[in-house]
Amino acid sequence: MWTGELKVRRVEGEISTDDIIPARYKHRFTDPALMAPHVFENRLPGLAATFRPGDALVSRDIFGIGSSREQAVSALLAAGVRLVVAPEFGRIFYRNCWNLGLPAVEAAVEAAVETEKSALPAEGARVALDLTRGRLTGPGVSVPFRPPAPMMIEMVRAGGLLPLVFARTRPPAAAQAHQDVEPSQTTPVGPQGR
Amino acid sequence: MRPDSPLVGQIIAAHGGGAAAAGELVSVEVDRIYLQDGNSPTVARLFAEYGVDRVADPDRVAFVFDHSVIVPDRDMADRVREATAFAKRIGARIYPRGAGISHVIALEEGWYQPGSIVLGSDSHTCTGGAVQSLALGMGASDIAAAMVTGQTWLKVPETVWLRVHGQGHPALRPKDVVLEVLRVFGQRPFLYKSVEWTGDWAASLSLDSAASVASMGVELGAKCVFLPDAPGRGDGLVPIRPPAGAAVLELSIEGLRPRIAMPHSPRNSVDIDLAAGERIDYVFLGSCTNGRLEDIAEAARIVRDRSVHPDVHFLVTPGSSRVYAEALRLGYLETLTRAGALVTPAGCGACVGTQGTVPAAGERVLSTMNRNFRGRMGNPDADIYLSSPLVAASAALIGRIPSADELVCHVDR
Ligand code: SF4
Repeated sequence: MWTGELKVRRVEGEISTDDIIPARYKHRFTDPALMAPHVFENRLPGLAATFRPGDALVSRDIFGIGSSREQAVSALLAAGVRLVVAPEFGRIFYRNCWNLGLPAVEAAVEAAVETEKSALPAEGARVALDLTRGRLTGPGVSVPFRPPAPMMIEMVRAGGLLPLVFARTRPPAAAQAHQDVEPSQTTPVGPQGR
Repeated sequence: MRPDSPLVGQIIAAHGGGAAAAGELVSVEVDRIYLQDGNSPTVARLFAEYGVDRVADPDRVAFVFDHSVIVPDRDMADRVREATAFAKRIGARIYPRGAGISHVIALEEGWYQPGSIVLGSDSHTCTGGAVQSLALGMGASDIAAAMVTGQTWLKVPETVWLRVHGQGHPALRPKDVVLEVLRVFGQRPFLYKSVEWTGDWAASLSLDSAASVASMGVELGAKCVFLPDAPGRGDGLVPIRPPAGAAVLELSIEGLRPRIAMPHSPRNSVDIDLAAGERIDYVFLGSCTNGRLEDIAEAARIVRDRSVHPDVHFLVTPGSSRVYAEALRLGYLETLTRAGALVTPAGCGACVGTQGTVPAAGERVLSTMNRNFRGRMGNPDADIYLSSPLVAASAALIGRIPSADELVCHVDR
């Protein structure tokens, strides 16, 4: 899980998984690194080249509707995206995010301006994420959200769903490469919702 | 199953999830899993990465090759080969290229049983709701985990009921009704929820139409959908009756006319007369929403003894090899071909830009598929409109979107 500083990248409008990665690429490649240069290429041409590790996508609209393609998440991760914030998400995209260890935070960014006297997180702003307390903060920015269930945080820390599931079905050594931390044996494994 | 309590809760309880309330996280047994060819290569890669080579029960897993049928690209060809080899290695069922779209096959071959839990690596898996299967689209990691463990985790969704009433225009089709639901209500009331269609309209639909309506559950933003028991839908289904005091969304279709979804969202639909006259260069008839026998029969009826407009490219892709063979036997494909349509092998066809005709820049496509996001068919500079097969076939004849009056004479043929 990314613990460094996050840099806000604003995206506007309803975003589908077709916008994030056109279908053709997931039929051509399985390596997310080969898909990363093509993210948003139809909707926001040129954006992919500007992504850097630690970028946080912040949207005021529903994000990730449509197709089930998990590659929409793996390609964003490969492009450097480490957090997605939107008021609501397409169900499957949301689930895929947590499954791959990318926090997807449901936060009413705009409402926070009124209630929290917060500024809208501006393009390029540096922010920090507190998943456990449910807050996105930065200079002048304070956006609250309902903290995800503890097991979702656990899964993101473990690097996703499969590191947890497969750690149980085979010797731990083989799973090690995919884990930042050791998963607790007692924690239920799951995609947490949707 | 009982007709008066949310089906999703009953199915979850019957699969080891207990009597969980909406919002709770549960683990459930999975009955069947199917994969499509855009994700199976990634699942194969995940198995290799994690050093896993076994699935819980290969007889309950199917691989369908539907998105790249006549493979147009060497990279895709390599992925198809990898996924095929992987399916063979784990002993899963293979539906090869040309067998059809996963969701069409799943209904024909009984992969969706009433009351079962089915996972598909494709968002339109919700089609299983046509026969009251809790059928859920999921991404590659969820699918891989369920293949290995035979289980998955769910958040129990709330249920919302939807009742359609009134008498629509004679050319109104189920696709138009779903587009109208989306225009009137948007996604918000359905997002993450289980949607149960209730009332006479939903119970009057043929199985093909029920599948069409169920397939678009994901366009509503729903987690799953259920249609009621009705003649022709098979055994084991129950009627749907909202419990007393339940929130029921009501939609009147009194006098409603066919609808056209304008570029670039299925939410953007308008009355057909507001779009009538728009030039159409390319008509695509097919997809898991409107590629079944009923759809092809309707198109054949419209174009019989007529000619496709000389400036229109009319592409017809049957949803499965069974649909293809039936349409052939009944003469529909001959009628379409003689009229000037181009009939392709079964599969997803041109729906998602992975094969079939990619539209040119500036071209306007009228398609019977379920979503018209920008670039969906492989070119962000094309404009995609959505409609029912009736409207699409009529447009293919005249090279523009017809008016409601023009359709009525076709309906009466
Ligand atoms: S027909 Fe279109 S929407 Fe249906 S599974 Fe194929 S690509 Fe997806």
